[in-house]
Amino acid sequence: MTINADAPLPPVLLSERQIAERVDQLARQISADHAGVDDLLLVGVLRGAFIFLADLARRLTIPTTIDFMALSHYEHGSAPSGAVRLVMDLRIPIAGRSVLLVEDIVDSGETLSYLRRMLEARGPASLKICALTRKPDRLTSDVRVDYVGFDIPDAWVVGYGLDFDNKFRSLPYIGVFTPPAGRG
Amino acid sequence: MTGFQPPVFIPETAIAERVDALARRISADHAGVDDLLLIGVLRGAFIFLGDLARRLTVPCSVDFVALSSYDRGATGSEGVRVVMDVRVEIRGRHVVLVEDIVDSGDTLAFLIHTLEVRRPASLRTCVLARKRGPEGRLARLDYVGFDIPDRWVVGYGLDYDNKFRTLPYIGVVHAPDDD
Repeated sequence: MTINADAPLPPVLLSERQIAERVDQLARQISADHAGVDDLLLVGVLRGAFIFLADLARRLTIPTTIDFMALSHYEHGSAPSGAVRLVMDLRIPIAGRSVLLVEDIVDSGETLSYLRRMLEARGPASLKICALTRKPDRLTSDVRVDYVGFDIPDAWVVGYGLDFDNKFRSLPYIGVFTPPAGRG
Repeated sequence: MTGFQPPVFIPETAIAERVDALARRISADHAGVDDLLLIGVLRGAFIFLGDLARRLTVPCSVDFVALSSYDRGATGSEGVRVVMDVRVEIRGRHVVLVEDIVDSGDTLAFLIHTLEVRRPASLRTCVLARKRGPEGRLARLDYVGFDIPDRWVVGYGLDYDNKFRTLPYIGVVHAPDDD
């Protein structure tokens, strides 16, 4: 993918091959941990998780159903910690079901903590969280993430679903983006 | 997947090759476009969109719409409802609408109409599979992955009662016994 002449491609942090291998491992682990589950409900968090979910879901060896949630962050941190606006809720009731929430990135963990509380209140049989990336240096919440693809440094990462201002989301790898203001 | 495994109709490799070819055509047709907007129709299109978007060589943004209809079968035309609209402004933008399957074409026609009144610079449609039913009243399709017979196909995003959506290939659940 080329952006344009004055916006070079973000340098690679995690290559396509590294991601594919890790997604394979995660899928094996998740399948093993849910062996015997009749119909695991995968919940993708839009928009960032759709590529990760597409690859992960195809590699699972247990029967699954897919649903999505879309979130929107409040501006300027005026909301209570981690609170987000639900643009689209799940269509499927999760009471009594085994659920795996699939996220692209865990930053502070506050949003994920909020999501976990919200979903747990609906009484699923089990609720686990799978995140492609996590930034340990940014964590302020002790939210439990059951499956983590990669712990990454505190940089702006793009690609494989992750974006900067909605750009670079469809890069097949994960790169590091330096916002224009930082160019000096 | 445990239990019933739908027989393969289109294998993974054939899908990947076709997605590559579509991505090349879409990229060529949108050469010079600054920021192509891909709109995926949930839930079925997310795998197709995930693969297609990564193979495009033009800069793109991604957004989604979610629809609800009474029935995807023969007569599911009346009840299309927008559950989630696109978040971005599409006026003046080049847009490709990405859908998993077109059957009657009514849903797609509804979407095209909904989006065209917002005056995008261009609006093209890309579907993975086009069903050749007895009476196809087809919406305008610019990019078609596969023309398929009138059978219930699953996998690669397509479902049967929400099942089989995550199969990596396209399979058939219950084929009619004619031809």
